[in-house]
Amino acid sequence: MKKKLKEKEGLLGYLFLIPSLLAFCIFMFYPMLDTIYLSFFDWNLVKPTKTFVGLSNYITLFTDPNTLKILKNTLLYIAILLVFNLIVPYILSFILSVIIKKGQGFYKAVFFLPSVISLVVGSILYTWILNPVSGPVAIIAKHFGITMPIWSQTEGWVIVVLCIITSWKAFGYNFIVILAGVSGVSQDVIEAARLDGVPMIKIFKDMIIPMSSATGIYVLIYTIVQGLQFVYTPIKVITQGGPNYASSNLIYKSYHEAFTLYRTGMSAATSVLTVAIFMVLLILEFKFVEKGVYYEN
Amino acid sequence: MKKKMTQLLALALSAGMLAGCGSTAATTGTEQQSSNEEAETATKDATDKDTSKSSGEKTVIEYWHCNAETQGGLTVDELVKNFNESNDHIEVVAKYNPDMYKGLMQNLQAETATGNTPALVQIGWAFVDYFSNNFAYVSPQDAIDTYDAEDKTFLTDNFLPNILDLAVNSSGEQVGIPYSLSTPVLYVNTDLLSEAGVENTEPATWEEVQEIAAQVKENTGKYGLYVQEPEDFWAQQALIESAGGKLLTQTGDNTYEATFASEEGIHAMQTYADMVADGSALHIGWEEGAQSFVDGNCAMLYTTIARRAYVQENAKFNAISVKSPEWEGQTRQVPAGGCFLAITAQDKDQIAAAWEFEKYLYSVESMAAWTKGTGYVPPRKDVADAENGLKDFLAENTMMTPAIEQMEDVVKWTAWPGDAGLTAEQTLLDMRDQILGGEVSAEEGMTKAQDDINALLPQ
Repeated sequence: MKKKLKEKEGLLGYLFLIPSLLAFCIFMFYPMLDTIYLSFFDWNLVKPTKTFVGLSNYITLFTDPNTLKILKNTLLYIAILLVFNLIVPYILSFILSVIIKKGQGFYKAVFFLPSVISLVVGSILYTWILNPVSGPVAIIAKHFGITMPIWSQTEGWVIVVLCIITSWKAFGYNFIVILAGVSGVSQDVIEAARLDGVPMIKIFKDMIIPMSSATGIYVLIYTIVQGLQFVYTPIKVITQGGPNYASSNLIYKSYHEAFTLYRTGMSAATSVLTVAIFMVLLILEFKFVEKGVYYEN
Repeated sequence: MKKKMTQLLALALSAGMLAGCGSTAATTGTEQQSSNEEAETATKDATDKDTSKSSGEKTVIEYWHCNAETQGGLTVDELVKNFNESNDHIEVVAKYNPDMYKGLMQNLQAETATGNTPALVQIGWAFVDYFSNNFAYVSPQDAIDTYDAEDKTFLTDNFLPNILDLAVNSSGEQVGIPYSLSTPVLYVNTDLLSEAGVENTEPATWEEVQEIAAQVKENTGKYGLYVQEPEDFWAQQALIESAGGKLLTQTGDNTYEATFASEEGIHAMQTYADMVADGSALHIGWEEGAQSFVDGNCAMLYTTIARRAYVQENAKFNAISVKSPEWEGQTRQVPAGGCFLAITAQDKDQIAAAWEFEKYLYSVESMAAWTKGTGYVPPRKDVADAENGLKDFLAENTMMTPAIEQMEDVVKWTAWPGDAGLTAEQTLLDMRDQILGGEVSAEEGMTKAQDDINALLPQ
């Protein structure tokens, strides 16, 4: 009798899963499979026929020197965004919740404000503010004898500036989430450590980070995945991937191939490559990082 | 304190939402979808109109355009309204298509698939061949012969041959009539030139421009020249072809060859790259470049006449415009931007109505209203000097004059033939970045790009 009831409950459980599964299938799994399918064809989005080309899209992708450049850019974007959107807010949260406890509400509001403003608007604003010839930042820098590089046309600089613009938007959310995690660490433990004269850096490194690691890992993954998607907006608005692909990343390349050049096959191949790379990253994460994460409950 | 903060946050939140409405660039997926939806509603509307037509007496036709409210959309509405009020048998419904000529082409494709078509559409120059190969249209001369036989010479009477030629496809058919026309001109900050001790404020050749730019750099520390760099090669085409080069040469019936890496073409690009390298010219995005000009940080701006209003409104110095410069010993060749009108109506009533409306759009008054509302150059003769045309307007807006004067030098904006046309265009943009960024010399970059493009073209 009891067993039957349990079985019934189990079935009911699966029944409740169906709506979300359905949504996942329609909006995630089916498009993903279709993307893989499309990556073997040459098609311009409007032609009635798709031409099967086998692996040719992948061969073009891997032999194109720009692909390597774009891969490197993608990694650089991730690295810089991790500094701006994970490490900096972590340190700031630590300072605000352990060292200076005043004005938390004020900082939360101030840092969170940009998160509610459209990144397109932000990008256009920054194009003006950071105009290296006649923008306000350039004028101030000139007074100090610094000439701003023409960043939108300079390799390297262009990625740094686009990351700053993206951080402006993404920083606030990450900061609030991490602050909640860091504030959740028991004050008693920290007080005890302080009384024992443990240096701040040690408290941060050996107590705060491990004890808030559940939040930390969430923000880490979120920063990598979302950061790359957020970066798309300023790339599209400001540089269109230029100069000569120096600011393009994998996600922008997918878009560019599909909707500027109408080579859906190439775009799909790029997307498949992107998914593969992120899958490897996720597996690595589960294998090595997840083990050390501390979940309170 | 807390309350204030909440209020501030709420304000920002609503601002963000408002801003969100305008953010189209990031959401291509939904954009695509919404334009499809729009096409669908357009279809529905059209079916509704058909039924209303049988009950009423007016012929209802649709006019598809790409002019958003800030880009002449208001003038479109005004012209349509005037036309509808001035006659009793035709009603025109104007339909705006987002995402410019490419967006219109996609909607037209969806609409045609459902078996409906608008009567009159705007087609961007670059789509002449694509449009005529894929859609049914009525050539303007055919429409005139059938429905307006008294005015058989309308086209040759009113348009310059090189302008009419812009709407001719590669098989030599007149697909439509030029409507919106823009050409590049050189805007000059004469105040900054005087400050730099330059006497010649109206450079006629690129050699003079080069000299002036160098002087500006040396005497004021500011930039001398900015040539527009959007995601197209339009301005650079003017530079290369005015030097005697040619982007694309037709070698046979259906065969083409990229020919821009000629001695002349390389000379033009190298001179330009040298100016960027020595700091007398600016290599930057279009918006930033235009800003730098109106802020007074760059002495000369080479961009489209359609930007006249922007320059006039924002420049706080004396700005003039001069004709697109020539290279010494060569003649000016300026590519056309804008669109032509094509009749896509299928049945007789609709074609007749479409022609009547089109002819109204080409009247001197309508053309003048169009120029005032958009900044495009009138493609038709006589509009500039007519009392009921632009005579007074041009007397006040002297910045417009050079664009009108260089009408006889207008050439086609190169459209790359074949399926790989878009890839060819991208190759040119990459080449521009490489040359201006100093990664390769003009000769090296152009030769390689030319080879790459030739591998793509139908030969």
